[in-house]
Amino acid sequence: MGAHLAATPPLQPVPTSLLGGQLAVAFVALLHVLIATFLTGGSFLIAVSEGISIARNDERHERLAGGILKAMAYLFSFGAALAIFWVLFVLLGMWGTFFIALTRITFWPFVFEASLFLTEIVLLYTLYANWERLRAYRRVRFGMVILLAVALWWQQFFIDVVASFMLTPNGGDTSQLNQYLNPTDLPLTIHRTAGNIAWAGAIVAAVAGVRYLRARRREMRVRVENPPAERSVGAMSATWFTDADGSRAAHAAATGNVAFFDWVGTWGAVWAISLTMFQPWIGYSYAKEIQLHAYPAWYRMMFGDLSNVFLLQITLLGGIFILGNVFFWRRMRASKARGRRTQVAVLVLLVPATLLAAVPARFGWTYPDVVAAHQDRPWWDGGLLNPIGTMIPNKVVALLVMMICALVSLTSFLRAHSAGEVRWGDATRRSQWLLVSLGVTVMLMMLTMGIIREHSRQPYLIEGELTIQGQHILNPTPGGTVPGSPSP
Amino acid sequence: VLRLFSRPMSRRMRGAYRWFDERTGSTELIHKGLYEAVPEKGGWAYTLGSATLVLILLQLFTGIFLLLVYTPSFADGWSTLRFLQDSDRFGSWVRGMHLWGAYVLILVIGLHMLRTFLSASYKRPRELNWVTGAILFFLVLGLAITGAMLPMDQAAYWTLVVVTNIPHYIPVIGDGLRQLWRGNSDFVGQVSLTRTFAIHIWVLPFLMFSFIGAHLYLLRRHGEFGSWVNYPAESADPERAEHELGERIRKAEPPYPARRIERQWSVPRHTVEFFPTQLFKDTVISLLFITIIFVFGFLVGAPLSDQANPATLTYVPTPEWFFLPLDQVLVLTPQTYLIFAGVVVLIGVGATCMILLPFLDRSRERSPLRRPEVLLPGLFLTGLLILLTVLGANRLYNL
Repeated sequence: MGAHLAATPPLQPVPTSLLGGQLAVAFVALLHVLIATFLTGGSFLIAVSEGISIARNDERHERLAGGILKAMAYLFSFGAALAIFWVLFVLLGMWGTFFIALTRITFWPFVFEASLFLTEIVLLYTLYANWERLRAYRRVRFGMVILLAVALWWQQFFIDVVASFMLTPNGGDTSQLNQYLNPTDLPLTIHRTAGNIAWAGAIVAAVAGVRYLRARRREMRVRVENPPAERSVGAMSATWFTDADGSRAAHAAATGNVAFFDWVGTWGAVWAISLTMFQPWIGYSYAKEIQLHAYPAWYRMMFGDLSNVFLLQITLLGGIFILGNVFFWRRMRASKARGRRTQVAVLVLLVPATLLAAVPARFGWTYPDVVAAHQDRPWWDGGLLNPIGTMIPNKVVALLVMMICALVSLTSFLRAHSAGEVRWGDATRRSQWLLVSLGVTVMLMMLTMGIIREHSRQPYLIEGELTIQGQHILNPTPGGTVPGSPSP
Repeated sequence: VLRLFSRPMSRRMRGAYRWFDERTGSTELIHKGLYEAVPEKGGWAYTLGSATLVLILLQLFTGIFLLLVYTPSFADGWSTLRFLQDSDRFGSWVRGMHLWGAYVLILVIGLHMLRTFLSASYKRPRELNWVTGAILFFLVLGLAITGAMLPMDQAAYWTLVVVTNIPHYIPVIGDGLRQLWRGNSDFVGQVSLTRTFAIHIWVLPFLMFSFIGAHLYLLRRHGEFGSWVNYPAESADPERAEHELGERIRKAEPPYPARRIERQWSVPRHTVEFFPTQLFKDTVISLLFITIIFVFGFLVGAPLSDQANPATLTYVPTPEWFFLPLDQVLVLTPQTYLIFAGVVVLIGVGATCMILLPFLDRSRERSPLRRPEVLLPGLFLTGLLILLTVLGANRLYNL
């Protein structure tokens, strides 16, 4: 056996190109991120709904919590398989040198991550398999839901340690303290915590939008197939109390579903918008840390080829706020709630703010391109620069306006709701398509963010320390080298 | 005289007290203070107000001790504190308590305001309770920041430079204000320190104790608590409940009767005497905070960096934690008119709205969930302040 192994030729690299490896990472990682972030945010929404359902004996919240949990269980099954594929084949197979180096540097965060993964499996599947049975023990179920949310948050925290360390390794200081307190760890954790809940809210809203449309169609069919009985007392009692032809149950179920999904869609949209409102400040603080501690990455993001993706991202942010605002407006209009004019006024401010944020600061691909062409003058002086689209102060002002507008829009809607002016089941079909669009826009936002963060480090995998070709290797242990890595 | 001294001691004491009481009305005053009916529900949540008062008195007490040693001098201020730190037996501890007392006070007063905001205790007839309380909050912040400028170490000196420059961003009158505070427009010196010291030990405390007096008077006038928590409705129907609550509140506005008087006892429905029930809770919470201050004052103390050196090029000034949100806003708005917009307009408008909250929220609703128009912006701003504090701390840690 030993002789056979000794005769084995040296390990060969996986037959793939650099581009192939990058594409594999892009595809699998982004899909993995979309699922994992939904699980984290979704667990928070379940905990909130379960808590409210216990405190206020609200069946809608219990049904919603059960629905999200079921979706999480299905997604987790696929997401876990994807994560294994991601680690085994993509990271170890295609990026082995880098991944071994990274694992040895951030060994403990990975250990904690794996332990929490096991915790997640136990809790999620126990809850999934026993959701109805645990109804008799609501507080136990609530406790388990809280534990699940906490485990998932810590899982996110530990992977943030790894991800942020890759961007701001602070000169390659691999100490545990620096890994956990590296400059972008806390901003990334806060950014993702708010973002994950917003993303889960947006997905819940989008799915509820689709389910609402189906429930509405079903309700119409039930009405056609089971026309209301004659409006005499006798006929009414026959249908309402004896349920002789089953139409009452069918009507009630159809109408109940319509109202339920209308409510769920709005609930999800409220979470999506309210958490996204904080993101301009959080994201800006995050970008500030990148500027201070990984300047080349920040420059690529703001002035280099990624600046165009960044521009798309800031436009999508405006799009999220606009879609939320138009949804709230249409939802209020459908119920003839007061305060609809506030929503219109907000829209009038939001659209120019988004346009201002979307305007490029130059009419060239990158700023270095413009400088190289000696065109770094304002366009009215014959150059290619557009001072109207500068980040400071114009885009910052636009972001502030967006944030305030979103706050006013949300407040106006919730005020109408608290006054009892929003009736569930009134929503129009178009408003539900707005929810679907909101979900898609938030997803695009997540994807562009992933692309920006991963590409801003190029040509490094660990900023300033390990290049994409693996030519510079950190020493994970003093005096040691990573096995199989080329010499520095 | 012989007869007086031949009486037992207890009788002599009683006689003396009667004499004193006849002239001052002290018994009535004590009874008024101790035997007020307060709602049974929510007692622990309402202990933060008295804790705030206790902490302010503690600050006064420790501040007087510091005054016995400290000299407000550019040249000697730092040395006097160095002496206090190194050579005085309890100096370091007392200084630590003054610092940690300020920290805990800001937190407690913030929590007290948040509780008042959530329970809508600022509504009629307690609008002026809120206004005086909000002004007190800003006065405490003013005391904290002026106090941070006095030790004349590097941190204090650069805080003095940065903070006295903030008025500069206010259009028209800004430069005048800066000159008034600093003594000249370009740099800080002995005059700046003297004026800051005067503001810290005279101007702000005078204003603060005036407002505390007004706040306490209004508190006694309108009763201890004013929360929606204390006014549950009998009826489940919202309209009838609103009417019923309105009627009950209108008829039985505090001062709550200490004895049952017709049906007015029903607001709030269940009450206890302030003494001993509520006073016990107040004492427990106040003692808890005082213990924290004693322990942190002893174990951590108050930092004193190198003596102020205006010529240094290496010192990185960092703000106190309670000004981190402001500092983070300054970092994120790095242009003159953005600073004006972010710091002066946003924070100025925010502070004004905060003080005038009772006049902005005119609805009769007291439940937080029925007041989203104030609850949501309030929680958003609170969340933003916490986030900016955490993110600012992270930035400074990694500098």
